[in-house]
Amino acid sequence: MSGAVGREAVFPTRQSLGLMKSKLKGAETGHSLLKRKSEALTKRFREITRRIDEAKQKMGRVMQIAAFSLAEVSYAVGGDIGYQIQESAKQARFRVRAKQENVSGVLLPHFESYAEEGINDFGLTGLGKGGQQVQRSRETYARAVETLVELASLQTAFVILDEVIKVVNRRVNAIEHVIIPRTENTIKYIISELDELDREEFYRLKKVSNKKQRDTAAADAEIQAAREKAAQKTALKPVKEATDAPDVLGEQEDADVIF
Amino acid sequence: MEGLFFNVNSGYVEGIVRGYRNSLLTGQHYNNLTQCETIDDVKLQLAPAYGDFLAALPPNPSTSALAGKMTDKLVAEFRYVLAQATGSTARFLEYLTYGYMIDNIALLITGTLHERDTRELLERCHPLGWFETLPVLCVATNVEELYNSVLIETPLAGYFKGSLSHQDLDELNIEIVRNTLYKNYLEDFYQFVNTHPDFKGTPTQEVMSELLAFEADRRAINITLNSFGTELSKQERRKLYPEFGKLYPEGSLMLSRADDLESVSLAVSISADYKAFFDAVGLTQGSGFGGGSDGKSLEDMFYQKEMEMSKVVFTRQFTPAVVYAWMRLKEQEIRNVTWIAECIAQHQKERIGNFISVF
Amino acid sequence: MAASAVAYKDRQFLAVIGDEDSVTGLLLAGVGHVTDPPDSQRNFLVVDSKTETSTIEKAFQNFTQERKDIAIVLINQHVAERIRHSVDSFADPFPAVLEIPSKDHPYDPEKDSVLKRVRRLFGE
Repeated sequence: MSGAVGREAVFPTRQSLGLMKSKLKGAETGHSLLKRKSEALTKRFREITRRIDEAKQKMGRVMQIAAFSLAEVSYAVGGDIGYQIQESAKQARFRVRAKQENVSGVLLPHFESYAEEGINDFGLTGLGKGGQQVQRSRETYARAVETLVELASLQTAFVILDEVIKVVNRRVNAIEHVIIPRTENTIKYIISELDELDREEFYRLKKVSNKKQRDTAAADAEIQAAREKAAQKTALKPVKEATDAPDVLGEQEDADVIF
Repeated sequence: MEGLFFNVNSGYVEGIVRGYRNSLLTGQHYNNLTQCETIDDVKLQLAPAYGDFLAALPPNPSTSALAGKMTDKLVAEFRYVLAQATGSTARFLEYLTYGYMIDNIALLITGTLHERDTRELLERCHPLGWFETLPVLCVATNVEELYNSVLIETPLAGYFKGSLSHQDLDELNIEIVRNTLYKNYLEDFYQFVNTHPDFKGTPTQEVMSELLAFEADRRAINITLNSFGTELSKQERRKLYPEFGKLYPEGSLMLSRADDLESVSLAVSISADYKAFFDAVGLTQGSGFGGGSDGKSLEDMFYQKEMEMSKVVFTRQFTPAVVYAWMRLKEQEIRNVTWIAECIAQHQKERIGNFISVF
Repeated sequence: MAASAVAYKDRQFLAVIGDEDSVTGLLLAGVGHVTDPPDSQRNFLVVDSKTETSTIEKAFQNFTQERKDIAIVLINQHVAERIRHSVDSFADPFPAVLEIPSKDHPYDPEKDSVLKRVRRLFGE
């Protein structure tokens, strides 16, 4: 895996090594944070899923009760009121408003039902007979619709959370499997390049020092030879000794000191 | 003496209806029905009474389809009876259909007001309220045209004239229109059975007056109860009360002034029957709408009473009132079966016994 | 998130696609709304056996895509079955599409597009 990830195009310098190291640190912190966020969201998500499951069951029941109350209406009215209801619908009495709820930085909408006061399209339905049943059925259905609205909130939260969790998980995975290995690779690369440079430098210096030593040795040998010659000459004419003594402060350079 | 020549013209009709009455479901049948597990079982149980009419239904039909087929049978039987009737009996039977016509016209008015294609509505009209010129009303594209067509084409013209103008159709709630028409219809019907020479002083007058008075009172009480908390003003409400019945005039006046349950129950206490209903469902204690101890609502009590009255009608002879009674009983039967089927279909069997059986 | 805040701020209605009983009941609860003339639009559609699938499809698209004032679309499950593809492929958070049971068709969790996603996510 990590081999395929490659590395970033940087010059292997100490500065970029520092950069990379801080980047790796940042990525790791980010990873653990995102991971925690994802876990929190998933927890929430599972809770919502469970509640959806429950609410769907509950919906089945309330809708059944509501449908039954409609059966009571048709029993009492003794006929079909469907068409009349459809035609007299004008203004929605039952409305919803959306609110936001913050879960780990994700804004989830929450529907809230409210009744628009003063709108009563069906007040006179069943005036002659069955009016009480119609009223009761309205209440039953209003309760049923509240359950439905609740379920709709959950479901919307579910869809949004699903999306967000996917995104977060993608990020977590990207950090875990791409960014971190890549940064590590880069660091490794920089370190190995720097080491290589070090080794090259060392070798070069070693070479230089060897050469210097050789040169020094040759020079020493020359001096030695010169001294011996001089010693012989001195023995022949001692008067000239003082002039031939080596001049330390003179033209002659010292050899570099190498460690 | 009034029965002496009755059978010459209407004996056959009465005989037929008495025969129909015998095919009504009894308590035993209902017991069997409540034991059913599926709609198919219900269908099977109904087979002796409804036979051919249910045969066309698909397996496990919806309850509305079932009710539709049962209504078809009622309609077919009623049409047969109507075809056999002559003279004043035929006139009487026509009166029975006017109630359904009012519903149909109300439907068409609703459709026209909302500029829907009223032709589609014809299917939704109650077949008993069908009259030949009903499709003509669909030609109307606005309320004024419709109003004129209604006046010209329908037997209901008299109920519109004088109490509703075409502007009213536009402005008033359709329920008010419907109830105004119904009030006029009831009054007219009442007038008819009390003044028509063929019915005056016969059992018909006696029986029908009682039944119609009950219907009028029921409507008055219901309208009052249902208008609480709506925009219907007391003056308008008062106009919807039929001007006869046991409660008229004192009770009606009190009803028109009532604005809570207690004043309603006070108003109806003139009649022992209605007072008993209110006591039974606990409305006098102000325990809320229709929540009696045994789960019976005021509406149920009224239906129960209506069924008992209808049953008693069959003890009378030489009167077309039996047709009225039979139709009410049959309608209740359809409602009962629909209710039972609904309970079975929705697995709500704990309240399946909430039907009304008088046989 | 600002964009989505705008997206649902004005959404306050519910829309219904269903059989006559379901629609009647929900209208009784007061969800029905008809916009002002001239182009009055209803927020509900009654579906029976004669209704064309394309009509349902169009209503669904109208409620979900075109109208911006609808927060929740309620659709009978057996009606959703008929336009299953559209329902399944609709994944936006707004409006929320909710499958509801009808009188004659009890609720079947197996068919619900959202519950199907739940199941798929958890690999059940």
